[in-house]
Amino acid sequence: MNATGITDAVRADFDVCLADADEGGALELAVGLVTSGVSAEDVLLGLVAPAQVRVGERWESGEWTVAQEHAATHVSRLTVDAVASAARAPVGGGSPRHVLVACGDGEWHVLPSHILAEVLRLRGFQVRSLGGSVSPHELLSDVHQNGPDVVALSCTLTFNLPLAHRQIETCRCAGVPVMTGGPGFGPEGIWAYALGADLYAADARDAAEALLRHWPPVLRGESSVQDGAVEEYAALVRRRPDLLAHLAHVLRDVFPGLRERPDIPNIPYSSGSSGREHEEGTEFLGRLLDSLAAAVFVGDERVFTGQLAFAAAYFSARSVRPRCLLAMTDALADRLRGSPRTLGTLSAGRRYLVTREADSRRPE
Amino acid sequence: MTDDGDGGGRGAWGRAPAQLSGLLGLVEAALLDERDRSAFLEETTRRLGASLHHGRTVRALVEMVIPKLADASVVVLPASGRRTHWRRAGPGDARSAGEVAVATLERIPKVADALYGLQPRPAVIRPQEMAALDDVLPGELVHGEEALVVQLAAGGVPAGALIMLRGPERPRFEDADIELAHQFALRAGLALATAALYSQQAHTIAVLQASMAPEPLPVADGLRLGAAYRPAAEALRISGDYYHVAPCPAGGVTFFFGDVSGKGAEAAVLAGRVRQSMRTLAMVKRGPDLLGDLQLLNDLVISAGHRFTTLVTGSARPCDDGSVKVEIASGGHLPPLALRGDGRVEEIVCEGMLVGAVPDPSFGRTELRLEPGELMLLYSDGLTEARGGMSGRDIYGDERLVDALAGCVGMQAPSVAERLELLTTEWLAGRPHDDISILTLQAPPRRGSPPRRRPGGPGGSASTGGSARTGESASTKESGTS
Repeated sequence: MNATGITDAVRADFDVCLADADEGGALELAVGLVTSGVSAEDVLLGLVAPAQVRVGERWESGEWTVAQEHAATHVSRLTVDAVASAARAPVGGGSPRHVLVACGDGEWHVLPSHILAEVLRLRGFQVRSLGGSVSPHELLSDVHQNGPDVVALSCTLTFNLPLAHRQIETCRCAGVPVMTGGPGFGPEGIWAYALGADLYAADARDAAEALLRHWPPVLRGESSVQDGAVEEYAALVRRRPDLLAHLAHVLRDVFPGLRERPDIPNIPYSSGSSGREHEEGTEFLGRLLDSLAAAVFVGDERVFTGQLAFAAAYFSARSVRPRCLLAMTDALADRLRGSPRTLGTLSAGRRYLVTREADSRRPE
Repeated sequence: MTDDGDGGGRGAWGRAPAQLSGLLGLVEAALLDERDRSAFLEETTRRLGASLHHGRTVRALVEMVIPKLADASVVVLPASGRRTHWRRAGPGDARSAGEVAVATLERIPKVADALYGLQPRPAVIRPQEMAALDDVLPGELVHGEEALVVQLAAGGVPAGALIMLRGPERPRFEDADIELAHQFALRAGLALATAALYSQQAHTIAVLQASMAPEPLPVADGLRLGAAYRPAAEALRISGDYYHVAPCPAGGVTFFFGDVSGKGAEAAVLAGRVRQSMRTLAMVKRGPDLLGDLQLLNDLVISAGHRFTTLVTGSARPCDDGSVKVEIASGGHLPPLALRGDGRVEEIVCEGMLVGAVPDPSFGRTELRLEPGELMLLYSDGLTEARGGMSGRDIYGDERLVDALAGCVGMQAPSVAERLELLTTEWLAGRPHDDISILTLQAPPRRGSPPRRRPGGPGGSASTGGSARTGESASTKESGTS
């Protein structure tokens, strides 16, 4: 319960609507709040955004399938649209303030940037929104065509940071400052500034206020990405297929999904299933490898340990012992002896896993 | 200290260091000045060179000369009619913009010359000449001070005129300032002319894009629709893939979905023509005749040139029991897939030849029913032929698509389309690809029948997620069997 009128009971009701993919119920509830006088911004940031965080948690904990997560996310999205159109955006005085909102390359968490776009509109900004996974080409082309005053770039997954860097550079090179947001940029946006972003905001309200305070935004960021780091990052990207194949082979007996599992019945597409499972196992490894590369790129081991923490929790929730992650860091270290930054990041990862395991054993 | 001149030999030795240091000071000042100027010009090139948006370039340009060259500045753009646009910066943080009559500007020959590209060197305007500029210049700076006008042009192409003013407390424009203004204008003119050209072309492209991009899906009672569209030319957003869904007055929708051979602008032009023809056909025909439509279209595509297209056309009609009856006819397109309630994926067989490849081809026609919650997927081959994966060279393929679709039970049509787009994009991981389009059409699930729950129990536990967000338990194929 808080001052905005969004009670715990309302939150719980909304969660049920998401769980049931009940768009009618969700819209009625959220729009009802707006018509009863709760500000649209409060509904977006105090109801929809936190509910969506719980959706992510329910998937991560294994409680929900991907399909459930997507169905719920879709309802959240419709809710954002309905709430935004139920509220009247202010008629802006003075010259319009143009913001281009985009998701980073490889970034498919569209909802946070969707909420940002609507919150900015409600505050009188003129917003163009480019949606999920925007390539640097598309971004540059839009910047040149529409000349926004600022680009708001969202990144929720740390392994996309090197791609986000490319986009930040692209915009800044065209003379357009970049505001960044999303958990992908790390605690208090430290990695946003490392990549040369001009502004960072923790959430949509912060973003609106920072823009109002610093209008017009100016170029003032500076990338601190090191040449040596880019070289090692490039080597990791280049060797990715190799490294993955090696890992898949070395870890075939310890890493989930990589081994043939006769105990799992393969229902309709039996011929493809074990292959597909193997593929998913390798893809999971691929994400860990991407995080390693991103950590080297940004020069901060926490990018890697953060992803390890996620992977360990993901495994634990599915009754898999996270020990296999340790085997992975060792197997990689074995292959990457010539890359000091990478080795340093890997050993930080190893330390993290060892400590985590010791901690998890202690209570028993 | 006395100074008896420097003509005598005596004492010169003693005075030399003082003179030398004075001289060195001058040289140093000149050097610093020169360095300052080149830094300014370099900054000009850097800031203006990368901007192709005309409005932004104009804004940056007027702001850049303050305070280095002036306290206030105005850019007047080339006339396209009887009035023309101007933008001003300064004094201080003041910014404004507006329009002025060309005839007014022409009363000052130096401004007119600069505007028409006939003023190669910067020219000083005397205070008494400036009355005509009252509308354009900041009032507080007009009276009593002279202004500098320079043309902005790229070779022979005029791009505007820049007028610079100084406040009363600043020295007047000196030769060095005029030279610097000239050097600045050469660079700024090039940037502005390039941006003007780009903006015109970008505008043309944007208009064409808008006419070629798929229209937003309609809202139809008793049906859910979703789509995704990712052209190969991502920066241009045009493609040889096309789809269209139109509501029927009697309920339900008609739709078509196709893929012109090739990609890029050439394919997009034919796609646009096919789309227009299909819509015209829908307006003139008396009753539904899917196969007849395809025959007419075949003649049209043949007459349009050497390209051909695949096409699925059809209708979807919601029935009273909540199911949807779908009828399709196909001209050589990939068979649509149906996602059944139990997670099975069926290929909808509907044989037919390519449209526009040979005269008098044969086309197939079929019907199917979607029960509540069930979905039909139409897609272009850019999806299944996407190359990537672990090796970077594998195609995404039918099997992966079928598996992915099977995992979508309980999802709404738009999120299924997005999920498939996401999986393909992740598969591609930034590699170039062909046009990708997806259209999903669904019978809404019955009220009170929420999506199937499947516990992430030990069966699924052995599997790993695809990625941090889209992690998917490997037992997805089992969905519906539980």
